[in-house]
Amino acid sequence: MEQQIAELTKSSGMLGTVDVEIFYWWCTAIMICIHAGFLAYEMGASRAKNVLASGVKNILAFAFIIPTFFFFGWWIYLAFPNGLIPSEAGNVGLPWAPEMGPNLQDNATGVFWAAFVLFAATTASVFSGAVIERIRVSAFVILAIVLGSGAWILAASWGWHPDGWLLKKFGYHDVGCAGLIHVVAGFFALGVLINLGPRIGKYNADGTANDLLPHNIPMVLIGLMLIIVGFFGFLGGCAILNPGAQWTNIYGQPMTLSAYGFNTLMCFSGGIIGAWITTRDPFWMMSGALAGIFVAAAGLDLWYPPLAFLLGIVGGVIIKPGNDFLVKMGIDDSVGAVSVHGFSGILGVLAVGIFAAGFPGPGDAPATSFMGQFVGVIVMVMCGFIPGYLVSLLLKTLGVLRVPDEVQEIGLDLAEIPSKAYPEAAGYKSATLAPAE
Amino acid sequence: MDSSPITTWEGAGAYFTFAHMPGVLYLILALAVIVCFGTIAMAAKHETEAFKKIAGKD
Repeated sequence: MEQQIAELTKSSGMLGTVDVEIFYWWCTAIMICIHAGFLAYEMGASRAKNVLASGVKNILAFAFIIPTFFFFGWWIYLAFPNGLIPSEAGNVGLPWAPEMGPNLQDNATGVFWAAFVLFAATTASVFSGAVIERIRVSAFVILAIVLGSGAWILAASWGWHPDGWLLKKFGYHDVGCAGLIHVVAGFFALGVLINLGPRIGKYNADGTANDLLPHNIPMVLIGLMLIIVGFFGFLGGCAILNPGAQWTNIYGQPMTLSAYGFNTLMCFSGGIIGAWITTRDPFWMMSGALAGIFVAAAGLDLWYPPLAFLLGIVGGVIIKPGNDFLVKMGIDDSVGAVSVHGFSGILGVLAVGIFAAGFPGPGDAPATSFMGQFVGVIVMVMCGFIPGYLVSLLLKTLGVLRVPDEVQEIGLDLAEIPSKAYPEAAGYKSATLAPAE
Repeated sequence: MDSSPITTWEGAGAYFTFAHMPGVLYLILALAVIVCFGTIAMAAKHETEAFKKIAGKD
């Protein structure tokens, strides 16, 4: 009898362990849809002469985030919850640690690392769209690595970690990463855009702006909807499965996946409706779907669902005016990433302080508060803007940030890509300029 | 070279290739880092040459 109980205990323990692996495995797989969605989105948003160069950028962001997150990204997350001095807790994330590879005593590290890699790739994708059609691919890859394997994961160590100082000192609450992914990436993009400059033809001599129209809006719309599919993998990855016990969020507070079920769909719908009623433009409607989620993301485990819907409406309403403001300031954000991610993300973090203050923190951490969320916003903006601005400034100084204007004129595909996106399309330049070797 | 860190699956922990040979692990890691960042440098060089070529022909 005792032996039977021991065997049952052992097998139920193993079942729980494998359940955790399976859950995060599928979350990771579904999250690839975010990347596929951004790929379609960015290619559709480009003009035809730049379409494949935009696609290659997106593909390379994913490719380079993976090894660099192995080399140092995971270590950063584990080592820096206290601030800027690394702790020994990071040692298990060093690339030569026994946990950082197949290990029969450790079923968890690989799938958690994989889920975080997809978070990192997503973050780099946010920045990717803003800079299409004039950033050099090599410069973009460097910046994507800085953002995806550096800046956001440091912010996550501080604000999306059970021992992070933003939680322990300020009760910072951001379950759906509104701050540490969307604010960080949005403001990183802003820092780069300031140094990168606009696409040629965007601005006239008198400072007025022209619309540089996407060459394939249907592909943009499908891409944005695919990103929403991927979000369900992302949000699943934002919940902690505790075998035999209740779900918790990343901070250790109890929650249910059902809470995400209610609130994700409600804020998504609010975002679409808010953008529809103010723009009637399908590009902004689907961008509104994203922004609606971001404005509710930080408190997705807490909202009364109709409140999530109203927060989504706010997201859908503010993004076009936000982007118009940036255009007037001379910032050419090709897809509105700063407004959709950065501005909506800020509102999302603050929304918890306004509408969800007073929820008890885990352990000794303070309760949620407006001041805690406000401090978080400042930290997240700086985590994004400072490295984005400084690294792009260095690349600009070295003369390796921007594609020369004469190359922009003929199109990046001819300069950088050995294949043709639409070989049968009329008016395709051919004879005198061969594609890249 | 025996890349297996285990001689039995019973009680095995880290079982990836060369887990028992830190020197080899560091070498493989260094190679991976060099390839990763080396390709970016190569891409930057190719871009500069391609842009100069375009500017010359246009």
